[in-house]
Amino acid sequence: MVNIYEAERANKIKSSIVVLGFVVFVAVTVYVLSQALGYYWGYQVGGFGFVGFALIISGLISYGSYYFSDQIVLGISGAKEANRKQYFDFYTVSENLAIGAGLPKPKLYVIEDSAPNAFATGRDPKHAVICATTGLLDKLTRTELEGVIAHEFSHVRNYDTRLQSLVAVMVGLIALLGDWLLRASWFGGRRSKDNDNQMGVIILVLGIVFAILSPIIAQLIQLAISRRREFMADAGSVSLTRQPQGLISALEKISKDQETLEAANKATAHLYIINPFKGKRVQGSVGWFSNLFNTHPPITERIKILKELA
Amino acid sequence: MIIYVVIVLIVLTLWVISVYNFFVSSKTRIKASIQEIGNQLKRQADLIPNLESSVKGYLSHEKGIFDELTNARKAITSASKSGDVNKMADAGKMLSEVLPKIQVVVESNPELKGVEVVTNLMDELRDTSDKVMYARRLLIDLTADFNVKRVTFPSSLVANLFKISEEVGLKTSEKGEHLEVKDSETKAPKVSF
Repeated sequence: MVNIYEAERANKIKSSIVVLGFVVFVAVTVYVLSQALGYYWGYQVGGFGFVGFALIISGLISYGSYYFSDQIVLGISGAKEANRKQYFDFYTVSENLAIGAGLPKPKLYVIEDSAPNAFATGRDPKHAVICATTGLLDKLTRTELEGVIAHEFSHVRNYDTRLQSLVAVMVGLIALLGDWLLRASWFGGRRSKDNDNQMGVIILVLGIVFAILSPIIAQLIQLAISRRREFMADAGSVSLTRQPQGLISALEKISKDQETLEAANKATAHLYIINPFKGKRVQGSVGWFSNLFNTHPPITERIKILKELA
Repeated sequence: MIIYVVIVLIVLTLWVISVYNFFVSSKTRIKASIQEIGNQLKRQADLIPNLESSVKGYLSHEKGIFDELTNARKAITSASKSGDVNKMADAGKMLSEVLPKIQVVVESNPELKGVEVVTNLMDELRDTSDKVMYARRLLIDLTADFNVKRVTFPSSLVANLFKISEEVGLKTSEKGEHLEVKDSETKAPKVSF
């Protein structure tokens, strides 16, 4: 039995630690890569040079996808707006949770797909969108639906779309810098006169190692952040509804369902309440290592933690 | 040296301002959330007559239910007019107590089960009592946040500085019958079919 306030606080702290670790990692990587690039091109562009350029490119791409996140995702998934009459439970449950969370009612969309799933997106609570599949709305009871929608509401309340976009900018930045460095080392580049000293060699070697490894590590941390936010949204769901049982039985129902979601693709996978590709997972790969590459924590672990709250 | 002192002072002032603003804006939000409870109660009071008239043909022999609905509506209207938080909170419960009784009626009259207006009545009743429940939840959460911040360090320093008083929110008396568990309540209920 864990108190929900303590659970929420512990989640916030753990999430901040992961995000902080990511920021430190990005800072170190960017520093090493830009130093190495400087050696290759023979001069150090004052402080902001390469990094600034890479940040602008990566930032522009991600800002676009962030700012228009609601419209882009809905375009991809082929969703249509939900009305009160046809989807009474979905509509009214969202309305009620908006009252409870003190947020504006998000736009509600429905995807025609028999695989039960749901996701939330939008750059801030005012532009939030919550989307559910017809499979989810058909298969869950009102209490279970309440748990799932409250989970999505917590994503909205925690600004998870914003966080994920910022993280994506950083991952893109590292990928760009690493790519440039590898290209520069390939073509030899214009070496500076003073790179014969030992420091220069060390930085170059370090730069190559970072260029190869850091994009992968950055993505792994990105996934770890995504999993952490899922736990946080689960706890947030319980603090909104005070009924862990609803979300528990919803997760059990959804995970037992064997259908895969056709509307999902890799770009939108992290948004859903459970990993939409669960059916494609190779049998027996459920372990610590395969977990590293997942956007979502294993359902059994989520249920275990929720049961402690019940 | 002097520049560091200035920086520290600026940061400190900004922090005090932000904590002060939290308290002030929370107070406004708490007021708004009380109004939201009233708003939802008013919606309930308007909704009941509509629902009543739509199911009148099907439940005409269940006069007791209509009496209860009418009583609930009267209590809700008078509570939302009085503007008293605790009266409003109590009135919200009345409607959720009618719902199980309607369910019993539907269970014992299987021919009612498929009737759309009757299921619609139950859905709407459940929804409207959920709405009042969530409106109360918001008030409870906001007051709890406010009061926790008021007494925890270091924001308590700012609270003391500006003499910020505790918010009562939904007042439940901390003594009384509702907090005691009776002997009969500790036994598991027997369900017979």
